[in-house]
Amino acid sequence: MVVCVYLPRFELVIAAGGPEALAGRALAIAPLPGGESRVGGVSGAAEAFGVQAGMALGEALARCPELGLVAADPLGVARAWEAVARALEGIGAALELDRPGLAYFEADGLRGLYGGEEGVIAAAREAVRAAGRASIGVGRAARVGAGPTRFCALAAALDAGSRRAVIVDGKGARRYLASQPVELLCFRSETAALVEPLRRLGVRTLGELRELSPGRPDAVADRFGEAGVLAHRLAGGADTPLSTRRVEDRLEVSLELGEPGSGQALERVLGVLVDRLLARPERRGRTLRAASLSARLVEGGTWQERVVFRQALSDSRRMRLALSLRLALLPAPAEGLRLAVERFGPPDGEQGTLLRSARTARLASLREAVSQVRTVAGPEAALRALCVDPDSRVPERRVVFTPFPG
Amino acid sequence: MSASRALNLPRPARVRAGSEGAPGMVDGRAVESVRESWLVEDRWWTDEPLRRRYWEVVDVRGRNLVVFHDLRSGGWFIQAA
Repeated sequence: MVVCVYLPRFELVIAAGGPEALAGRALAIAPLPGGESRVGGVSGAAEAFGVQAGMALGEALARCPELGLVAADPLGVARAWEAVARALEGIGAALELDRPGLAYFEADGLRGLYGGEEGVIAAAREAVRAAGRASIGVGRAARVGAGPTRFCALAAALDAGSRRAVIVDGKGARRYLASQPVELLCFRSETAALVEPLRRLGVRTLGELRELSPGRPDAVADRFGEAGVLAHRLAGGADTPLSTRRVEDRLEVSLELGEPGSGQALERVLGVLVDRLLARPERRGRTLRAASLSARLVEGGTWQERVVFRQALSDSRRMRLALSLRLALLPAPAEGLRLAVERFGPPDGEQGTLLRSARTARLASLREAVSQVRTVAGPEAALRALCVDPDSRVPERRVVFTPFPG
Repeated sequence: MSASRALNLPRPARVRAGSEGAPGMVDGRAVESVRESWLVEDRWWTDEPLRRRYWEVVDVRGRNLVVFHDLRSGGWFIQAA
């Protein structure tokens, strides 16, 4: 059983300073300075005027002249979301984080600890509320749902209230999904683009989508390609397994600038931050595989960039070089800079041999490449095909994909 | 990290079968000739036995295709054999 925890309008709630700020007000996240002129998340009152996330700013203001714009706060969102994720991991959940405000975990291994699915859901709800209390009360609006797959759990969470969870059992999943609107597909990046054409075709529910080609996704595949097949499978109650994140130590350093800084001044501050981060005893000699660089902007709001290093490293000069390139992307002068470790690499005490054979060098390069790919694209990014039963009469039993050892 | 997963899984295919059960059309394209056919029966000792009639055919474009008829569910699938 998969549990979905959904915090509606999470990014807007953080940017606006709390859920109370949204009550009855038409608000939207302003476009980033220098970025594309489109609004981010919008409040319910703004939606009532026809304003939607991703809409051009001019159109949004034309539809709702009293629309209030709040500066985006990716740093605050990342912090608050990390606090929620840590709280959920604190109850023993292995999380798949979809986007800020949306997380999934398998409840099967936790049933014994909490006395069944209801107990697991209650523990998750309490953990999110506790994490929310520590920040600005984001946890109060948490909706929790459970179902046999990720997609079904999401539908259940959207149906749930802030006090009542919805649990869909395995047998009733297909019937439950059949009554859900096709807009549910917007929550998956692979299928989001299908929603508009499906609406134009008069397909309103996932059940109607299934009926386009009952039992077989051929007709949907002909019209919508791979995304159509996936949508058809999701509507039929099938989904891929969860891809959970690895829990890492949190290590970060920050520095407030006396006055707004940019250019060389910021590069010097970055150098100080890198040195401080590398000097922290909690690093325990480990190298850094990925880091996030964030800033509080003078114009309001925050900015954040994730940097995956080409090699796991602990060399101050090379880190500074890689990170300073990202400083050029800052949309406005900054008041404060923060550097955090996202993923650690192996300890830096490992030394290469004096005479390394070409094969060893190739293997080391391959391991490094696999590690980089996994850091960027997830643990399933590097697989190898392994012949397990090459003489089997059943073709799909001959070769399997297994994680690439690296 | 997830466990291993199978490669070359069968994909559903639109097949119109002739009177003797041989495929006449595969995914909207006529079958030019049937090269070979064989039966696979496996896992008969389990609750999920496997019974498939495989057909290797050549379509009008000259493509070699392997399709099978699942004799339990009745569905047709395409798969590289």
